[in-house]
Parts: sequence; C-alpha cells; structure tokens
Amino acid sequence: MPTAHSWTDVAAARGELVRAVADTRELIRFRARTVRRRGAAGRSLAVLLALSVAVAVVPAWAPGAGGGDEAFGVLLVLPSMLAGFLVLAVVSAVASGGGRELLARDHAVAFPVSPTTDHLGALVMAPLNIAWILQAWTLLGAGAYALGPGGLPYLLPATLLWIVAATALAQVVAWTTEAVRRGPRGAWIVRGLATALLVTAVSLQLSGRLTDVFDAMPTRHLLVSSVSMLDGFTWTWPVTIVLEVLLVVASVVVGIWPAHVASKRVPRDELRIESGSHPSRPDTRADVAMLVRIDRASIWRSVPMRRGLIVLAVGPGAIALAGGLTWSQIAVLPGLVASGGALLFGVNAWCLDGRGALWRESLPVPPSAVFAARSWVLAEWLLLGAVVTVVLASLRAGTPTGAETTAISCTLVVVVAQVVAVAMGWSGRRPFSVDMRSARATPAPPLVMVGYSTRLAVSTTLTGLVFSGLALVPEWWVSLVGTVPFLAWSTYRLLRAHRRWTDAPERARAVMTVAA
Amino acid sequence: MSQFAVDVRDLHVRFGEVEAVSGVDLRAGAGQATALLGRNGAGKSTTMRVLAGVVPPSAGQAMVLGHDVRTETLTVKRAIGYCPDVGGLIPRATPWEHLQLSARLRRMPDWETGARDLLERFELGDVAHRVTGGFSHGMGRRLSVVLAAFHRPGVLLLDEPFDGVDPIGVEATFEVIADARARGACVLVSTHLRDLAVQACETAVVLRGGARVAELVAGELSGEAGADAYRALLD
Repeated sequence: MPTAHSWTDVAAARGELVRAVADTRELIRFRARTVRRRGAAGRSLAVLLALSVAVAVVPAWAPGAGGGDEAFGVLLVLPSMLAGFLVLAVVSAVASGGGRELLARDHAVAFPVSPTTDHLGALVMAPLNIAWILQAWTLLGAGAYALGPGGLPYLLPATLLWIVAATALAQVVAWTTEAVRRGPRGAWIVRGLATALLVTAVSLQLSGRLTDVFDAMPTRHLLVSSVSMLDGFTWTWPVTIVLEVLLVVASVVVGIWPAHVASKRVPRDELRIESGSHPSRPDTRADVAMLVRIDRASIWRSVPMRRGLIVLAVGPGAIALAGGLTWSQIAVLPGLVASGGALLFGVNAWCLDGRGALWRESLPVPPSAVFAARSWVLAEWLLLGAVVTVVLASLRAGTPTGAETTAISCTLVVVVAQVVAVAMGWSGRRPFSVDMRSARATPAPPLVMVGYSTRLAVSTTLTGLVFSGLALVPEWWVSLVGTVPFLAWSTYRLLRAHRRWTDAPERARAVMTVAA
Repeated sequence: MSQFAVDVRDLHVRFGEVEAVSGVDLRAGAGQATALLGRNGAGKSTTMRVLAGVVPPSAGQAMVLGHDVRTETLTVKRAIGYCPDVGGLIPRATPWEHLQLSARLRRMPDWETGARDLLERFELGDVAHRVTGGFSHGMGRRLSVVLAAFHRPGVLLLDEPFDGVDPIGVEATFEVIADARARGACVLVSTHLRDLAVQACETAVVLRGGARVAELVAGELSGEAGADAYRALLD
C-alpha cells in the first residue's frame, strides 16, 4: 500500500488552502456586514490602529530611549516578554477550545465551512481580544523604547513578525490540545499536562531558575540580530526575518492538520454536559432561591464559562504566587479577574436563558426578582474567581496588616459591585442572541467584546490602583471610607439597569433578542 | 367583565419601524379551542406573546380572563400556560428543573405526580433529569407543551406545538387540548399545519399582514375545498 503523498495530494491540499482563504475572506465580509453600528465600529478600529502605530513608534523618542539605564533594563527583559507573549497566546487559544469562531457553530452548519477555514478564521479573530492587544502593545512599546529611533526599523518588523508567528504557533498548540482533549481520556490528559506545566513553572520560580529558563529562550536572537544592525549591516537580521516569515507560514500550514483531526472528533466536554443528568433536588422556600438555582445551573453546566473561570482564577493567582507579589500589588488582581469573569457571560447576562427566555418571561414572577437573582449569581461568580486569585497570591505575601486586609476586602467588594453594575447595564441595553454551549463561544460579537473588555479593564485597574495605594496607609478605616463613593456609583448604575429591566417594552426587546 | 376568556381589540404591536400586529381583533371563550392561522409574519406569534404577557401591546386592548395584560401582567401570567414558537427551554436546565421552577412560582404544593404523568404521556419520563440542550427539536416541542399545560391554566397558549413533533407527540398534544377544553379552559393554537388545526380546534381565525381577515368554523378549512378557501384568504 503506497504511503507517500502523490503530487495529486499536494495539488488537492493547495487547492483546499486557496479555497479556504477565499472562504475566510467571504466570512469576514459577512461578519463585517452584520455589525450593527458600522460607523462606530469603523471609528473604533481606526482609533485602535492609530493607537497601535503610536504605541509602536512614539516610545522610541521618549527621554532615555535607546541609551539610558532604564532602556537597557527593558532591553534585557525583552526576550522574556517575547516568550511571555507566546505563553499567554497559547493559554488564551487553548482555553477557548481552539480559538474564537468566525462563524458561530449553529450558523456554520448550513454552510460548507471546512476546518481549514475555521483555522484561518480563528487566526483572524485572535487579535480581537484585549489581552492580546495589550500584550502586543507592550512588546512594541518596550522594543521601541529599548532601542530608540536607530533600532526601530530593525526591531519593529522583527517584533511584528514574532507577534504573528506566536499567534499562529499558539493556534497549532490549541488545535492539538483540542484534538487530544476530544480523544479517549483526553480531558484527563490535558488536565494532567496543564497541572504539570503549572507546577513546573511555579517550582522553577520558587527555586530561582525561571530567569535562567527565560534567558535561554530563542527569542533573544530576535533582539540580538536587531541590535547588531546598529553597528552596520549584518546578515543575521535578514536571516532572522526570513526565519520568522517561514515560522509564520509553517505554523499556519501545520495548524491545518490538528484542526482537521479535532473537527473529526466529537467535543466530549460539551456533549457530556449537553447529555448530563442531574437528579432532582428539594424545592426551595423562596422564588429568588429557585431562580438563583436555575441561573447557577446555566453557568456551571457551560463549558466556556467553567473553563474560563478556572483559567481566570488560577492563571493570575499562579503568576502572583510565582512573582511573590506584595499585598499592595495583589489589590490590583481582583479587578482584572472580575473583568475577565464578566466577559465570560456577564456582559450579556440574559443570554443564559437562550431560547428559553420567552418561556421564562411568561412565568408569574416580578421582573425585579429575576433581575436580583441574575445580579446575585453574577456577583458570586465574580467573587469566587477573585477570591481564588487572592488566596493563591496570598500564599507568599506573608501575614497582612489590618490595613492590607481591609484594603483587599474592600477591593473585592468594590470591583465586584462595579463590574456587576456595568455588566447588567450592558446586558439590558445591548442583548445578543448567542449559543453558549460551544467552548469557543463569546457572549457578544468580537468587536463589541474588545470595547467591553477595554472599558472593564481600564475602570477596574484604576479602582485596583486606588486600593493598592490605600493598602499602604496604616489606618485600616481609610479603605472603608474609600469604598463609599465607589459603592454609591455602582448602586446608582445597578438601579438604572434595574429600571431598564423592569420597563416592559425594554425587557421584551431583550428577551426576544436573546431568544431569537 | 368580558364574557370571553380572551378578548383582544384593535391590538397593535410595533418594534421600532415594524408593525408586527396592526389591529387584530380576537375573541375566544372558555372551553373553546381556537386556531390562529396565517402566513409567516402574519402576527400570530406576536399576538400569542402579548397574551402571554411577554410583549406589551403598543396600542389596543388585550384581556385574559378579564385581566388587562398591560396593567395586570403578573395576574395574567398566573392564569396562562404558554408554549413559545421558538425553543422555549433553558438550555442547561433539566425538564424537572423547568417544572420545579414553574411550580414554585405558581405556588403549587403537590405538583410532582401530575408532572410525572404528563412527562410519561409525552414519553419524556426517561429524560426528566437530562439537560435539555441535547434534546432533539421534537423533544423540545413536546416538553414545551408539557410546561404550558402541567399547571392546568385557564388559558392555554400553544404556538406551533406540532412543529417537528412525531405522531405520538401530536396525539398527546391533542389530549392536552381536549383535557383543557373539558375543564373549561380556553385554548389558542397557532400553527401552519391546517389539517391538525382543524382536528384540534372548532374555530379558526386567519391573520394576514398583522390583522384578522377571517373567523370561521374550523371544519370549513378541511379537505381540498378548505385548502382552497384557506389559500384564498392568504393571498
């Protein structure tokens, strides 16, 4: 039996790739046409692009750029930052089950969308993620500052290509992981590997060898080749660029194979949950308690939400544990975790009911009770993620002072209230019909998610920074006083969201949209 | 108080620029089953949603058992049982949890036995504790009928209850409609399946372009002659 690939196979594969590229282009056009506020979306993209250019260029002319001690310090950590970008891209792609979908699973069934198209679509969607954008901006800005205007023409293309290559490589890892996860005992294999990697990383950090590992990363060659161009032309730089281009092409092409393998296997996690049985539990004594029970079930029986919260809670906690953050620094973390948690479903909270929203709305219960139950469930979900992060981070932070304990507790309460109020407001104002069964699903379209995540990240980080500062004040009651304006503002916003939900026409619009 | 269980007068429902219902008049008595027929977009489902208290009317009046759906929404919701046209099920909850929620909110103390019987009648007893996200379309429709009927409402609103349902499910739905009528409930059935509507109901109301165009005895729509008459009303 012949095992070698014939020219016919190669030609067919090339034809498939060409077709997939054309299909991806069509799907992007289709998605672009479905954007509701196209003017606003266009302006947002233009701002994002302008900011990216500014971030990549302006720091090169900042004071001390390309020569000072600080610039040299940045230069030294740049290879680690480049490697870190790859790690975070992998975590993001793996957690989302192979990356975001260009076309939702339910919609895609009617169209001949091949796994190759799906793979290319996931690559296109990867940058529409605030974590990815911030990481990319950090790399570009740090590179520009480290080498200054002289090194910018060499380091900028090398960094840009690395960002693309790392994203494509992450996609390969994500599809491979998804293919394994969907195989026999795959979930346990993936969990075992993830735990082993996490334990290795933490133990390397605790033993002080993590820096050595980062120093040995091949990413330093990117930097060395660009730096060497400052002393005159050397072939190492063009060779590095060519190698990066080859890495991009190879990663994109290689990713097709695991994408096909994964598509042929059933998504076990999702199917297990869809066909799962849950024995009856005793009746509750209050209406809200029953509503809360159903809402909790909707969250914890969803693959993307469960997986997302684990990554969100454990990831920053593990990084904080490895980095040995102080209590004052830990105060910034709950806000980031709460923001991420809201992006799993909270920004479109009514989507939990899916097509059952119409039936639920026909039940004899005051809308206030439904709103209270959904807000409560969202709050406890965010609080759980944030508390896990704080507990992990606290393991090396030592015994907190009274002021630090109060500051951290106040941060938890304030950021959860802040995020719940904002998310419930958005949920009522801009509901979307989404199927949250797929591990790759997001509660809102990609561009909207970028906007939501940016606003949440900025507001909660600023809040975290305020309480980070308050943790340094010796008097414990100062943090308590500090919570008052934040809680007052969040209460106002939550009441506004509540008013919108209790307005019958507004509620009908939200219900019919999510049930569509 | 109106002599009709369902009394709709000059109902208008607007969604922005679109007028989904434009002046529907509909009256249905207790113990009577009425079919709502018409093409896609005729306003059948929107009218049902108004009667279920899900969508508020933009203008006109809709009364259910003497209660105004606009001002006494919660009372109306207690009185009706609603099977929506799409989905109707919370994707990650089990049928039993759906029933438990409904029973809790309707203050039904001894609901389990009746619920179990109804699930068995619709051949859903085996999947009572399974998440509905994995249900077939037909299973979902059958469960939606169970959810609408199990608390024995005074007004039963069934929107496309036969869509994609097997003959066993259709028969069970017929039984539910017959039971409801026998105990004096008013039943409204919105469907595209004329033959089944004729079998299940004694009156048929035809909607077109968001307004009522005819009300006739369901039997007049049966057979070839009925099909021709119906087609003439749709054009």
